[in-house]
Amino acid sequence: MALVVGAPSALAQGSESVEGQTYVIGTDTTFAPFEFRQNGELTGIDMDLLRAIAEDQGFEVEIRSLGFNAALAALSSNQVDGVIAGMSITDERKEIYDFSEPYFESGVQMAVAANNDEITSYEDLKGKTVVAKTGAEGETYAKSIAEEYGFQVKSLDQSATMYESVKAGSAVAVFDDYPVLAYGIAQGNGLKTVTDKVPGGSYGFAVNKGENTALLAAFNDGLAELKASGEYQQILDSYLADPTAAQPSNFFDLLVKSMPALMTGLWHTLLVTAISFAIAMALGLIFGFMKISGNIVLRGIATTFVNIFRGTPLLLWAFMFYFGLPQLTGWEISVWTAGVLTLSLNAGAYVAEIVRGGIQSVDPGQLEASRSLGLGYGKSMQKVVIPQAFKMMTPSLINQLIISLKDSSLLLAIGFTELLYQGQQIYAANFRVTETLLIVGIIYFIAIMALTKLANYADRRFNK
Amino acid sequence: MSTSTVQSDNVKIQVKDLHKSFGSNNVLKGIDMDVREGEVVCVIGPSGSGKSTLLRCLNKLEDITSGKVVVDGFDVTDPKVDINEVRRHVGMVFQHFNLFPHMSVEENIMLAPVELKKMGKAEARERALELLERVGLREKANARPASLSGGQKQRVAIARALAMAPGIMLFDEATSALDPEMVGEVLQVIKELADTGMTMVLVTHEMGFAREVADRVVFMADGVVCEQGEPEQLFGNPQQARTQDFLSKVL
Repeated sequence: MALVVGAPSALAQGSESVEGQTYVIGTDTTFAPFEFRQNGELTGIDMDLLRAIAEDQGFEVEIRSLGFNAALAALSSNQVDGVIAGMSITDERKEIYDFSEPYFESGVQMAVAANNDEITSYEDLKGKTVVAKTGAEGETYAKSIAEEYGFQVKSLDQSATMYESVKAGSAVAVFDDYPVLAYGIAQGNGLKTVTDKVPGGSYGFAVNKGENTALLAAFNDGLAELKASGEYQQILDSYLADPTAAQPSNFFDLLVKSMPALMTGLWHTLLVTAISFAIAMALGLIFGFMKISGNIVLRGIATTFVNIFRGTPLLLWAFMFYFGLPQLTGWEISVWTAGVLTLSLNAGAYVAEIVRGGIQSVDPGQLEASRSLGLGYGKSMQKVVIPQAFKMMTPSLINQLIISLKDSSLLLAIGFTELLYQGQQIYAANFRVTETLLIVGIIYFIAIMALTKLANYADRRFNK
Repeated sequence: MSTSTVQSDNVKIQVKDLHKSFGSNNVLKGIDMDVREGEVVCVIGPSGSGKSTLLRCLNKLEDITSGKVVVDGFDVTDPKVDINEVRRHVGMVFQHFNLFPHMSVEENIMLAPVELKKMGKAEARERALELLERVGLREKANARPASLSGGQKQRVAIARALAMAPGIMLFDEATSALDPEMVGEVLQVIKELADTGMTMVLVTHEMGFAREVADRVVFMADGVVCEQGEPEQLFGNPQQARTQDFLSKVL
């Protein structure tokens, strides 16, 4: 029941109309030409189709670009109403999801580096390693023939990184969906195809089994309308027949084109870090004081809190809050809420230890002198001990702030649109992984240097 | 040779069968001691004899294991007594000064009167400057403690302890951490304070000073009061072997 209560929007049941409704749809981050970002805008075959269908059928969509596996996890936890992510319709998936009519006939194809003349057929793969996308049709196909041809299959999460690893030589070939490969090659990703496409599955739009039936029906109706009107073929052609989307030609061009999206990412990184760190400071003060309390229960609670969040990975909590908590409680958890919870609880545990250490490093004579004047414990702490402790804590707190800022990049795993996530979006579309990462790295570096300078200035100014 | 001018029979501090243990370590083993209003009592004795612990029990900086301590009419062993209230009547000066390093000299002195809402800021500052004048450090009002010499720090600490106008002052080895050339200036301030008729208990290693300033000298050893009396008598003609032995080593 909690699952139903926690649905992010009206769960249209039976014959209920979709008109005027807003549906939250999850999708992949990096599956060009089906979904990718161009100049910050989410675009691709899936996106254009979905928007055209929504317009035709009179409903609204709110798209969440989460990553393939994360989108499915979000669907299972009712964080989204449906998923469109170049997803093949398989019997296994039909067990848990209801699919629309197929909207795209796909298939798997193999590609090798453009300068590789040794691999011309599956036979040449003997003893070599190939890459395929985790959970995708390419992986299934590659594994099904791996034994026959004697090669190893390594699974990666994104098309762009798979192509990079083929170019870098850590794998000799990649098995990927043919439209994706075709688009990538046309974009100059440095690969070529040497074998024929293997006819494969069809892509479908998915909802949770038995739910959102009206949405599913509307998708099918809209798809039929688009096919009849010819708009469907137009959308496909615009990506597959002639992929002429203007790509940046040199590094400077890439820098200029990617800057708006990266600045949005930087802003989100700074904002989520600032909010989380403010909460972490409050948590840290409370739990830090509890740790030095004479009360064994308070001390126990604080120690447990610190041990739990220091003793478990940050990423685990990001997944737990974003995917687990909605299923357990039925609450709707936004990616911002999950991100702030994750970062602030993690940093809060470290700040609690910094606070405890800071207070304990103040000479006990200071508290005695204040108490001997007749000031109470609370006043003595506030006026005498904490100002001195804070001065000693400042370098550690600045350090923790910087760690939190860097840790915020892990939130890309739940689709939080921070800086590194924006970088991924960019190289997913243009396949210029190294240059894009270099730009992202420089932005992080500059931001952190500026923050450090600012914090040190404030330290000198206020902690004389 | 007592220099105290004001003394009455009014008992300001009463200690009865005071015991204090740290775990299994019994530091005070039954102390009885009265201090009358205006009296200056110096506590002497070897290290570890419990002098400082006795002093710290008087304003309950140490929890009292058993026995009774009445200070200025307050029974400090009674849990219902507001110990913060008692401490406002008892100033304390520490061996290591314990000035607040993040405040200026005058802020150190103003803290308690302002925070305890006894005075407004302006009045407290005026009072702080008067006290600094008294210890000869008015020009250091805006200095940070770190910029002062040891002797100056301890004089500021005395001014701070006087800020709440206490009726009793406790000195815990107030000159032990000072360089020899600075001991004199601090003892001079303490002596002037004694001359005003302040009730004082001093734990000290300065035998000459104890002799000069005290109305009564208490010799402690092994957690008990071994011998006490007027300075002339205790220094000139000690009765107990422990006292004679101790004095022969330090005089």
